[in-house]
Amino acid sequence: MNVFEKVAEIIANHTDTPVADITMEASFEEIGLDSLDIVDLVMAMEDTFSVKIELSQSIKKVGDLVTVIESLKQ
Amino acid sequence: MAWIADASLATAVSEGGGLGLIAAMNADPEWLRTEIRLAKELTKKPFGVNIMMKSPFVDAVAQVVVEEGVQIVTTGAGNPERFMQSWLAAGIKVLPVVPSVAIARRMENYGAAAVIAEGCESGGHIGELTTMALVPLVSDAVSIPVVAAGGIADGRGVAAAFMLGAVGVQVGTRFLVANECTVHPNYKQKILNAKDIDTVATGKRLGHPVRALKNKFTEEFLKKEYDPNTSFEELEALGVGALRLAAKEGDLEQGCFIAGQSAAFVKKEQPAAQIIREMITEAENLLRGTNQWLK
Repeated sequence: MNVFEKVAEIIANHTDTPVADITMEASFEEIGLDSLDIVDLVMAMEDTFSVKIELSQSIKKVGDLVTVIESLKQ
Repeated sequence: MAWIADASLATAVSEGGGLGLIAAMNADPEWLRTEIRLAKELTKKPFGVNIMMKSPFVDAVAQVVVEEGVQIVTTGAGNPERFMQSWLAAGIKVLPVVPSVAIARRMENYGAAAVIAEGCESGGHIGELTTMALVPLVSDAVSIPVVAAGGIADGRGVAAAFMLGAVGVQVGTRFLVANECTVHPNYKQKILNAKDIDTVATGKRLGHPVRALKNKFTEEFLKKEYDPNTSFEELEALGVGALRLAAKEGDLEQGCFIAGQSAAFVKKEQPAAQIIREMITEAENLLRGTNQWLK
């Protein structure tokens, strides 16, 4: 399972969104996540991928999160 | 408590056995510097500074606490992680106000000395969870000490907070009517007159709701908030300066009188030290009496 697939699975588990609807381009706002949900999600990502993700304004889409995790894992 | 907690109130609380806080609020960094220096003259006891993350001066204010050798910083209304490293390097103990488990865990990872789990009963910027739910959840999730806040204004709240897993409490609203609190007398009177249903949360649509006492300001704000023709910018602009109008001018119509739900059980003006003594004595008596529930 690649990073995107794992991220999509975690988001699907955290929300009522079907995993098929979670794309790289989907924004967290579209998925119905507010700022508190995003922190919750980022903490789940940190636990899963054993990385430390800085919270910044630039994490707005699923793809942003995937890119950050991929760069941290390298 | 922006525009409310200055050196006068903070040092009265510290002298009275609590940990007084100067609220940096939206004020400019030089105001804060002056208050910190004044507080150092007024007390030798520890005191802290609360930094509001939405302040337009947040970067400068974050630097002032380092320059002035402040030992304790609490943060509110946002995420302080970008400042944590510099504060910790300066030996500052940081206690962020947290509205959720994930943020509490995050703050622990970033080196917070403790977290303040603040339920939405509190005044000012609020989250979704109540103190009753948030404090035990946060206590389970972190291994650093948890301070409970929101809805605590007497010994019953203090005792309950300990039962929920907290090791301390943060109190705002009750100190608004402390003799040493320099807010306008109209503000104090509104707190003293408040009953259970007199606070309301505005600004949910903006994503950062604020609890305040109902008045013409909150009524008009809510009307505009639910009017789809009002833009976010317009709504944000409505709140600018409203707290200062309440705290400094006592403007009963256009001021935003932030207060927690506990305003309903704040009934008299007292010295800060007396407030602390009363709350702790009542809590101790209640905790001693808990045996009545055991077989």
